[in-house]
Amino acid sequence: MKICVCVKHVPDPNLPVQVDPATRRLIRDPKQSIIDPADEYGVETALRLVEEHGGEVVAVTMGPPAAEDALRRAMAMGADRAILVSDEALAGSDVLGTARALAAAIRPEQPDLVICATESTDAYTGLLPGALAGLLDLPQLTFARAVSVEGSTVTVQRATETGYQVIQATLPALVTVTASVGEPRYPSFKGLMAAKRKPIEVRDIAELGLEQHTVGEPGARERVLEISAVRQVKQGRIVVDDGTGESVEEILAFLRSIQVV
Amino acid sequence: MTAQGFALSEEHRMVRATVEELLHRLRPQREAYFHAIFDEMYFPDELWDRMAELGLFGALVPEEYGGTGLGLLTMTIALEAFASEGLGNTMAMVTAMDTMAIVRAGTPEQKRRWLPDIAAGKLCLAFAITEPDAGTNSFRISTLARRDGDGYRLSGQKAWITGVDRSQAMLVVARTIPYEAVIARGLPPRHGLSLFMVDTQAPGLTVQPMDTVGIEGFRQFFVFFDEVPVPEHDRIGPEHEGLAALFDALNAERILTAALCLGMTEFALRQAAEYARERRVFGDTPIGAYQAVQHPLARLKVLQEAARLLTYQAAAAFDQGVPSRQVGLQAAMAKYLASEIAFEAFDRAIQTHGGNGFVKGYHLIQMLAPARLFKTAPINNEMLLNYIAEHALGLPRSY
Repeated sequence: MKICVCVKHVPDPNLPVQVDPATRRLIRDPKQSIIDPADEYGVETALRLVEEHGGEVVAVTMGPPAAEDALRRAMAMGADRAILVSDEALAGSDVLGTARALAAAIRPEQPDLVICATESTDAYTGLLPGALAGLLDLPQLTFARAVSVEGSTVTVQRATETGYQVIQATLPALVTVTASVGEPRYPSFKGLMAAKRKPIEVRDIAELGLEQHTVGEPGARERVLEISAVRQVKQGRIVVDDGTGESVEEILAFLRSIQVV
Repeated sequence: MTAQGFALSEEHRMVRATVEELLHRLRPQREAYFHAIFDEMYFPDELWDRMAELGLFGALVPEEYGGTGLGLLTMTIALEAFASEGLGNTMAMVTAMDTMAIVRAGTPEQKRRWLPDIAAGKLCLAFAITEPDAGTNSFRISTLARRDGDGYRLSGQKAWITGVDRSQAMLVVARTIPYEAVIARGLPPRHGLSLFMVDTQAPGLTVQPMDTVGIEGFRQFFVFFDEVPVPEHDRIGPEHEGLAALFDALNAERILTAALCLGMTEFALRQAAEYARERRVFGDTPIGAYQAVQHPLARLKVLQEAARLLTYQAAAAFDQGVPSRQVGLQAAMAKYLASEIAFEAFDRAIQTHGGNGFVKGYHLIQMLAPARLFKTAPINNEMLLNYIAEHALGLPRSY
């Protein structure tokens, strides 16, 4: 089976986020960017499926040349090859423009499965997988905590607030995975070496048959009008113990009121 | 960790990031590992396996034999990182010595036989050169490999052999011509030395534990050879002329010892600085604000950086195939400085911690003996100074 996994090169989520007030975009320093940790779960899922059924894992991303780092990481983990959709004309793409570019790169691959994270760690829109499934005309199975394939059927356990649903679709399909699918492997030295030699195909919009006005800033129908810092709301309540231990009851009463105990 | 001045390649930076990522994931198990290593004297199999999965043991093995061929600098960076978390692995270093002897002096058949399993982390290998009466002066070893039909019979005794109980085989340095005979024939004392890979379960081979401290997670042994049969195809390198391969193994050992010392120094200094930033004795001032506390640590930081540069330089020279005598000089300097500061760093870290330095939960007092050991072993620092005086300064040989 062939699996395309979407990955994204994002600012390291362990570092403070900085936004350019003029463009209202995230400041992306390639030196402080990494593969989106959420995408590693997708890569892991794809690798496990291919280990079980045979086949090929293709990592796909859209971004500037530095986004190659995210692809190399996916290949160091075990992905076989990668596609980098890169073109200056893609700068400023909204979700739909990004989905168009990714769909154009993925379509010729004719994958059995497309795997995405549920949302990216930088933008958090969670809209891209749906748009991608729509453009590729694939059924979309979301929030998977487990993914299995048998014959031409993919089965996922879809996480819900109260438990999970079991959902099936006929391949080809698109699946979004959560962190519950299992701990992503870390690359070995062998993986690092192999990743250097694995091919990355770079595609611009002309090669993908995309028209300029459908992607990038001109094609973007979403506009970021305002961006502001999250207000720090001081939460919590301090219970002062006067030495009698009565505060224990007070804390327990509070915990019961919010149904923690 | 720094040493930005030494231009590490992208590859080596990625190696370091990968090891650090693994160490981050191992954090939750660290206390359990410490308990196994320091209290039970047993290096955890699981930790060995995680190192193997990472590719630590394959770093010295060429790709055609299942490794990555990334080289000694990679191994140096990796072992340093493990030691900086208190998880130094002496047997990884010893296995690396044997690996280098096979890589550089083994026949294609020997390489096919040993290297893939080494790369996969399936083999732990010991190294046996020291004898009760021949430590620093290795030429005076008396363990003899006597020709017997198609092979040899090995007889003699070795001491301070680390991790034999955990090893499947060991590289034994033996005489194929007795020292006295070599001297009587007017040959140089290095002549008549040969290397053999010996199965630790071979008939006639017995071991006896030594009651020592200093090697975290592994024990040391006397090893007795009583007419142990060794087939000719287990001799590594030419008969009587095993010294070249031995030098490769010993240079790797010294460089990796320096790597372990650097990591241990990192551990001690990090712990000391963390404690000194928090601990307040007089009013609200942390003790780290006092020069009497911070200057010794700052001085050690400087020396650590210098030792790291020496160590990386020696490892890079080793990988580039620089002649072993030249590498040996760099390796001697690296091991000397790194081991001196590792011991001092634990001494200062304990002093910084006051009484807490002796509380086992801080993990400093248990590492004092391992840090001290490296001033004495695998070669004592006085012999290294002798070597440096002779080969870097052109002074007369002093022993």
